[in-house]
Amino acid sequence: MSKLENTADQAARDHRILLRMLADADALCGSGDALLVGQYRHLRGRIAALINITMPAGNTEHAA
Amino acid sequence: MTAPANKVGIERTASPFVDSVRLARLASLSRAELEALQLRKLLQQLTRLNSTSSYYRARMQQAGIDPTKLASLDEFRARFPLSNKADFLADQTSQPPFGGRLGIAREEVALVNMTGGTSGQGQEIYGRSQHDVHMQGYLHALPWFLAGLRPGDIAVNCVPAGGLTTGGWGPGEGLRIIGATAFHIGGALSTDAKIDLMQRIGEVHFIYASTNYLHTLTEAMLRRGLEPKRAFPMLRTLFIAAEGYPLEWATRIEALWGCRLQEGYGSTQCAGFGASTCADGVFSPSGGRGLMHMFEWETLFEVVHPETLEPVASGETGEMVVTNLSIEGSPVIRFRTGDAARFMSWRDAGSGRAWNAIECGTIGRFDDMLKIRGNNVWPSAIDAAVFSFGEIAEYAGRVYTSSDGKTEIEVRVAFTDAVAGLDDGTRARLVERVRTTIKERTNVWMTLVVCDRSELPEFNYKARRWKDERQQGYRL
Repeated sequence: MSKLENTADQAARDHRILLRMLADADALCGSGDALLVGQYRHLRGRIAALINITMPAGNTEHAA
Repeated sequence: MTAPANKVGIERTASPFVDSVRLARLASLSRAELEALQLRKLLQQLTRLNSTSSYYRARMQQAGIDPTKLASLDEFRARFPLSNKADFLADQTSQPPFGGRLGIAREEVALVNMTGGTSGQGQEIYGRSQHDVHMQGYLHALPWFLAGLRPGDIAVNCVPAGGLTTGGWGPGEGLRIIGATAFHIGGALSTDAKIDLMQRIGEVHFIYASTNYLHTLTEAMLRRGLEPKRAFPMLRTLFIAAEGYPLEWATRIEALWGCRLQEGYGSTQCAGFGASTCADGVFSPSGGRGLMHMFEWETLFEVVHPETLEPVASGETGEMVVTNLSIEGSPVIRFRTGDAARFMSWRDAGSGRAWNAIECGTIGRFDDMLKIRGNNVWPSAIDAAVFSFGEIAEYAGRVYTSSDGKTEIEVRVAFTDAVAGLDDGTRARLVERVRTTIKERTNVWMTLVVCDRSELPEFNYKARRWKDERQQGYRL
């Protein structure tokens, strides 16, 4: 396996982890606790941004 | 005038493309891959805005654009209407405070930023989501990581923190994202108190400042008999933004501080930095001006002729037009910034990356341009002329109408303390050399007046050295 494919695998795996984390953060945002919900939104925003930042860059990552 | 090549024997910082797999991948993208990534993000952005932003929905309807059917970046550039500051101000007036371009629910706004209002037209207002707060941090962290800042480093931020500006909040987020220990000393302390604190910190690795403030800081240290490179031997990176400079000045700064000078191009519209010198510094390999490479996977840049609106060719100066690919609150889509930059295509940039670039040290503002006796005179060009002389500490200029109706230009210059011992004849010859250099770079003869340094203002962030008082001359 080439270095690029290894890197693509890792990038795709990290991206999938973040997508799962976003789904969990979305669930937390449904909490009825007014003190915590803002903090959950804060956390969700960070995860959403990281999903943008780590978006698969090319076809190799898409294939991984 | 071409500056001598950087002679400072400074080692380059560790390679960001070795330290970050992600950056290495972005650096390895072909131009076609990079543009495919841009298009993918753009279509997501436009599709979202079509359902969330009345301002952009109206613009897409006006142009007959269905964002789900946009086939290429070329089609976007050809069909999507440009926006400018006046459009945004009108939008804000009709739907206060954020306008129809907000694109997220008002309750999702976690940070409010405004532009400086120095144009006199009014201040644009931007509502940023939690997601965007992180993105703004990332868009500061990115150029600084590229410039050598690493987790655990000590960073000194000389730009005033907080308030309503993007530059007040982005650096703090950016430094936290990197994992650096940050001292936000901008605005909070006098220059001498900043120097005292930095000396107490001792092990400073990174300094961020406006071009002008780095000049002020350096000048103040020299006035106190402190040699920057001896006072801060651990310093690896000086990072500047916001204003142009002559290469002679950059050479002196690197020699005095003993480290590499890096530069970024950013704005509120870019939500942080959109381009930087990466790890290359502000000099080209031949000693001329270096390049700032654009972060095109986050921001779509066009550089256009300000009148024809056609893309400028590589090597030409044009107006920066910006589209946010990743910002969700108050994004800009084909926004005319008014910033003037010399464009260099990725093919000519010679970095080995498929990233387009703009020239270092020459960013100007089309609306700052002074029309003097039929000449287009840029304050940045006068800065470059004046500060090519290390003997000048600061200057201020004004254009006014004399009692007989003529346009006159007065430039007040203050010398550094090192010049205090010069005799009158030598000083007069120096003033004439400065005057001649200004004429060479602007085609305008100006009157130079020598004054004391204390008579000129000290700028904490962006310098405003010029006043156009011609309107006052015609008041009855």
